[in-house]
Amino acid sequence: MVSSKPFRKRGQLHITETIAVLFIFFILIVFAIIFYYQYQKVSLKEKQQELLGKRAVETTLKTIFLPELICSRGDAEPEDNCFEVSKLEKAGGLIQQHTVDYYFNIFSYANITVQQIYPENEAKICCTYTKEITKTISDGKVVPGWSNRETSLFVVTLKEDRFEGEPSYGFGYLKVEVYS
Amino acid sequence: MVKRNRLKTSTKIKYRTNKLGQTEVSFNWLYVLVAGGVILLFFFGVVMKQKAVAQNQLTADVVNILESILTGAGVSEKTKNIVNTGGLVDFTFYFHCEDGLGEYGIEGQNARAQIPIEPVFSPLRLKTAQMITLSLPYKLPFKVIDFLFVTSANTKYYLLGESSDFSIEFMNATQGFNVQKISVSQYPQIDPGKNFQIRFISLDGGGWLSQTIPLKIVQMEDSAVSAVVFTGTNQVDYYTKNGRSWEKMNQNTVSIISLGGERDAAKYAAIFSGDDKNYLCNMHKAFARLEFVNQIYSSKADGLVSAYQSNPLASATGGCLGYLREASENLNGKLGTFKVQNQVCLRQIGSCPELISTAQQLANLNMAMSSGCLPLY
Repeated sequence: MVSSKPFRKRGQLHITETIAVLFIFFILIVFAIIFYYQYQKVSLKEKQQELLGKRAVETTLKTIFLPELICSRGDAEPEDNCFEVSKLEKAGGLIQQHTVDYYFNIFSYANITVQQIYPENEAKICCTYTKEITKTISDGKVVPGWSNRETSLFVVTLKEDRFEGEPSYGFGYLKVEVYS
Repeated sequence: MVKRNRLKTSTKIKYRTNKLGQTEVSFNWLYVLVAGGVILLFFFGVVMKQKAVAQNQLTADVVNILESILTGAGVSEKTKNIVNTGGLVDFTFYFHCEDGLGEYGIEGQNARAQIPIEPVFSPLRLKTAQMITLSLPYKLPFKVIDFLFVTSANTKYYLLGESSDFSIEFMNATQGFNVQKISVSQYPQIDPGKNFQIRFISLDGGGWLSQTIPLKIVQMEDSAVSAVVFTGTNQVDYYTKNGRSWEKMNQNTVSIISLGGERDAAKYAAIFSGDDKNYLCNMHKAFARLEFVNQIYSSKADGLVSAYQSNPLASATGGCLGYLREASENLNGKLGTFKVQNQVCLRQIGSCPELISTAQQLANLNMAMSSGCLPLY
């Protein structure tokens, strides 16, 4: 009885020491997990932004070469970075009509517009394609549901055929907004 | 007595202490062993998990990069790209197309991408350090879509047959590709070397198919040896090696829907397609797009009619309204017929050749209009 008392105390000391070591060990693990999680979160966000930027460029490229819009020249190669105004006027309706069954596979969630800036007196915006990410809130109202948006601008010429002489060319820009 | 008793107790204590120490020491070792093992297992698990994640990430990145390459190459007309894929030489890419939906990816991996719109004509499998892409516009008669041809440096093409305009044009267009022009008499001596696959392109029919397959080719895998044989003006047959003989792959005749001429995208597509299914499936994508492009041109033709009606003087000069609406063979009527024929073609691929004559008539009308009137395209 006399001898057992100090041993129990030493044993208790050891257990406390072990618990302390384990506690610090787990604290370190928790810190490591939090650090890793934060790092992954940041790099995922960067990756998403990078992919969105890439999609914006790809969508712009696809639009510039869209056969429905480009300036054709018979059997010759089409004119670069040029949209025919007459096609542009018709294409908007057609693309909107077939957004779900066809054009969504090309442009995904995006908003594509062509803004004419010259000649100024004829300045107009032509809406080519619109498909935004939306969500319905509790009161049934549909609101934008996207968290990221990337915009890309590209200068284009706008060709208008004339009965006499050469066709007239205006200037404008293609604005492509992509969402995620 | 008391002293002796104390001594006894002291010895007893010493003895007991030693025993407890031994238990403590072995417990500590056991504890360290278990804890160490658990920690080691934990990190081993993390490493294994990371390895799997990295592998998936790599294949996803590869497919993603390939998607960008294909998008870029697909929209740039008449461009040839040689893409270094040395880092991906261990992966085998596959290209499938079924029911109008294309898909490519890496064999044995989850990473894949669908191609619902762009027609991509390629061998069924590619394993290469150098991927080659070529893009050509498909016109019927106006531009419908860009065709993308994908092949590799280790896919060998043997162009069989006498010199013709097309063979010269093809050899020029495919400079940088693994293409060799041979005569039928050279066929028995062919050595495929270390190529991953070979494809024979026969422009003068399939008479040579009855000859014995050269021994070095027999040794290759059946799926790695194929042939595309042009039989008629607009017809093609696909063959694959079956042991020591050739086996025809297509049940029905495969027609090339095009107006011919230089850089005939549909003809090139037939050459680069893995098989008849791949070819027809991707052509179906082109006809699906034709429906929309045709609608645009129909609307443009209506616009031209209105414009000429409001300006009769301009119309009278070149007889423009006649071309557009009034003549027996006019653009508006032909565009309507073209639309109906295309809809039938989309449902029944066998009826697609009907598009050719209407497309030719549209091209003729457009040509006639371009002198004195505003052309359609």
